[in-house]
Amino acid sequence: MSMETPVGLFQYPVTKLCMVSCAVVPLVASVAGWKYHFLLQFDPFLSLHHQYYRLLLFQIGCLNESDVALMVLIWYHFRQIERVFGSLKYINLISLVFVYTTVLLAVLNTVMNYVLPGWFWNRYPTGALPILLALFHFYKEYTPKIYEFEVFLAPFIRPKDKLVIKLSDQFLVNALIALAMLNQGAIGVATGFISWMIGVFIDNGILVGLSTWKLPLMARLLSTRARTSINAADQTTSAIDTPQRVRTQDILQDTQAAAPARNDTPSTAGITTPEDSEPNDEPVRPLRTQFLDTFRR
Amino acid sequence: MEIDGNTLLFIIIVFYIFFSSPGGDGVSSTFEFNQMKILKETLDLEYQLFNNMTYDSNFKNITGLKLSYQDILDNPDQNATFPLPNKNYNSWNVGQSHMLLPDKVINYIQDEVWNISELENKNNVFPFNISSSLRGTTDLISNHKYEKIRMPIPNFYKTPSGFSVDQPELGDDYSAEWPGSSEVHNVTFQRGDINIKVTHINRVSNDLGSSKKYSFNSQDDKWKFLELQITFNDDAEKEKHSLTTFGVYDIQRGRILSLSDSAKFHSLFAFPHYMSLDQDENLRKESFEQSKKLITEYWDTSKYIDTLRIGDLSAAYHNAQEKCEYAIFLQIDPWNQYTKDQLKMIDDELNWPLGRPANLSDLPPISISSGLFFSPDCGVSLKLDNVRGPRYELQTKKVRYHLLCGVILIMCQIYLLLCQMKHTNTPSSVNKISFYSFRMINLVDGILAMVYFIASSIVAELYLPLVISAFCSFILASLFETRYLIAVYASQANEEGISIRTLFEGNTEGPERQRVIPEVPDEAAISGGIYGRFFFFLVTFSFLAISAPAWPRNVRLFVEYTGLFILNSYWVPQILRNAVKGIPARNIRRRNENARNRGQTKLPLLWKFVVGTTIIRVLPVIYIFTYPSNIFKHHKNVKFVVLLSLWLLFQVSILYSQDILGARWFLPQHTIPEGYSYFKSVTSQYLAEHGDESLVETNSVDCSICMSGIPLYVDDKPETHKVDQYSYMVTPCNHIFHTECLENWMSYKLQCPVCRTPLPPV
Repeated sequence: MSMETPVGLFQYPVTKLCMVSCAVVPLVASVAGWKYHFLLQFDPFLSLHHQYYRLLLFQIGCLNESDVALMVLIWYHFRQIERVFGSLKYINLISLVFVYTTVLLAVLNTVMNYVLPGWFWNRYPTGALPILLALFHFYKEYTPKIYEFEVFLAPFIRPKDKLVIKLSDQFLVNALIALAMLNQGAIGVATGFISWMIGVFIDNGILVGLSTWKLPLMARLLSTRARTSINAADQTTSAIDTPQRVRTQDILQDTQAAAPARNDTPSTAGITTPEDSEPNDEPVRPLRTQFLDTFRR
Repeated sequence: MEIDGNTLLFIIIVFYIFFSSPGGDGVSSTFEFNQMKILKETLDLEYQLFNNMTYDSNFKNITGLKLSYQDILDNPDQNATFPLPNKNYNSWNVGQSHMLLPDKVINYIQDEVWNISELENKNNVFPFNISSSLRGTTDLISNHKYEKIRMPIPNFYKTPSGFSVDQPELGDDYSAEWPGSSEVHNVTFQRGDINIKVTHINRVSNDLGSSKKYSFNSQDDKWKFLELQITFNDDAEKEKHSLTTFGVYDIQRGRILSLSDSAKFHSLFAFPHYMSLDQDENLRKESFEQSKKLITEYWDTSKYIDTLRIGDLSAAYHNAQEKCEYAIFLQIDPWNQYTKDQLKMIDDELNWPLGRPANLSDLPPISISSGLFFSPDCGVSLKLDNVRGPRYELQTKKVRYHLLCGVILIMCQIYLLLCQMKHTNTPSSVNKISFYSFRMINLVDGILAMVYFIASSIVAELYLPLVISAFCSFILASLFETRYLIAVYASQANEEGISIRTLFEGNTEGPERQRVIPEVPDEAAISGGIYGRFFFFLVTFSFLAISAPAWPRNVRLFVEYTGLFILNSYWVPQILRNAVKGIPARNIRRRNENARNRGQTKLPLLWKFVVGTTIIRVLPVIYIFTYPSNIFKHHKNVKFVVLLSLWLLFQVSILYSQDILGARWFLPQHTIPEGYSYFKSVTSQYLAEHGDESLVETNSVDCSICMSGIPLYVDDKPETHKVDQYSYMVTPCNHIFHTECLENWMSYKLQCPVCRTPLPPV
């Protein structure tokens, strides 16, 4: 496994899904005028109108543009987790985290509002902030730091003593997470902290399900994807040891993820199937290329 | 050009003239200033009179309200002066002695429209917010039964008679002296359509320059101040009346009173008296006081006199000259199924959607149960029938969803077009596509993009969906379709100047009939030309499409129906093109496939594309012509849609029959010339002329593509008769190549590789 994560989203189906839906869902919702479905407040939606479906929806769409931008970036950086865990385990983890954060936030909110006097917690965060914070624990726990660097600053008051700030290659993710939390105010920080705790508890086994929770049909969906791409990997990178290849899903994902980094040819060029061998000088142009050609000429 | 000081000064002066416009109220001359001064003085005086008016005192010196119906009955030539002799200005009665309305009309309003005796004690609930667009029919009650009340226009409204005039004329002018505009002062049809757009005026600005607005209504739960935009016309749209009026809405009783306002009728001051037609004096007093308060608040908060512009003055003059004044009495249907709290929630949800449980899909339309239009100065009365419409916000929501469905259709079209482009990715296959079929499709999409784009700048509420629709259809029209058109045009460029007959025969000219080989332009030149034509047509047709609603109905319908019919004949050019190109029947194509030249004879259009495009394009037409409350407010005409769909079905079925039976099945045999065949034998004479000397013995020539020899079938040499005639191709210009070599070449260019003569497709 190389140290650097390859750039791009090739062979990151779950990350791709999360990023695309994170941007497309709010866009479609705002065009169709459905954006308010993602707004969740204890009063009046839960306590007065009993619209509990909003609990399922509030993490799916963001309400403002800066949240969308931040979360898309965070999802992109979290592709490291998909690389470490494999797509199947990653999507199972996301769904498990979604269930736990939704349920626990709702329970905590209700308990706080009904049992604790003098406290009223009304607003919920919007967008996938709780899920991202819970995953943040896994990111920190399972992604190694590649390098660290120090920034020397001269403070205003006593310029003689150098102020040293130590940063690692993960400082960008840390900053994005902090921004995403602060962007939603005190609620963002509070629910973010709770969600992070949820992530820790899931990893410790206090909240069960990390190894047993499985989404139905997901294995088949992802494995058909993987199988078609084995061919691609087969033809583009013949240097990979074949006996090892089919051992586990995880290694499979890793090798494929590494493949495009090793040789820079686009994957699609290799997918020509043997039966498509009629003499044809025009190279097969995928839809994507046709689309781009339109702009180029 | 050198710019010296004088030129610079001249330019500055020109710019100053261009950019200096009268600011604020728009007054630009002493004459206009004096006009405004007189108007403001008049209004100020009238407002003081209005302020002193009580529920039991008459109008005094207020423009348009000086005479009552009885005064005219007594003396039809009575001038509108103040004070009239023997007239009592200190009493008020509901009746023709004090009002502009005849007793009959007043009784009609009391009994039929506002149902005063019945509804007085009922506790009906009426909607708070009635902003909506109402449509229905209107019937003429009478246009000659009542006397016309004389309403003069003050002379100061007139434009100056010369440049040196500073002071406007004084005095009044009566309608008999106006220039011929009498036909407008009547309603001559019996039954017509009416359209009322109701808007609430909740906040007003009190400064000419600023856009800051203030709310003024302190009785917001009982009274609303409205603006009504009313148009009514006969079925043929020959006679069209339109007016914009203020209105007062009594929420407790569901009554709307609306009075037109112009230079001859200052109707704002008449609202309190005409709003209170109740029998009971206390009720009358109450509604008089409350509606008077509403008007006063509006007047004071908006600083009515200070915010007048010169444009208002000329509009008032224009309206006074061209239009009848109307007093409009409407009764709203109650919404008794809701409580006031529910109504409040519904209004909140419509105004600011949050997903409250308001059940908006069951919301009834705003509906006018009865209504009367009466014109005192034209003596016309009209009644309303079945006038209703959904709340404005609901209508907007519906339009939004329908637009999004349109976007989905456009996206499907883009996908199908991409499939089609992928299907025909060689010049040889693109050559068989009809340029004009796609040109028609392209034109419709382009117009759609243009109309969406213009609409997006007009309808602010639907900006986002409209812009997305415009963007999608623009991408479809100007990128993908035009791109494809360029490819088609480029592949057909070498046919220019060839007669259809020659095309039919497949270019079988011999080399001796050398014609001038057309200069095949490069793609940049073609795309420049096609884009130029595209935008020219786009702009022309968009202007037509936008101006169309203003045409008379008959012309409009004719243009619309013929236009739709022609634009929906988009497969006809393709059928003709197929026939010209002579695509063989399906079974023959299958056979040819075995003869190694498959791919060259496939049908140019994908069936998926043909059927999909037809459906995508006919669905909106079906929607517009059959769905009664469609967003374009288009009338229903099922017959036309059925005809149009049958016509499209006919075109598609012809295309299908060409696929099955061959493209020329409908042409009589003897009209079809023999197509050119590349596969033929050669003579030894040919071999002697063209063959290399060293190769004559071997009966072969060199293929100029692969530079290796081709064994030939020579007629008069029996030893060559074992050679497969399908292994080489002879072009019309008598050059010989391997079948495989030439076919590969022909998928790029339909020109002879040696002498650039156009080649007929295989």
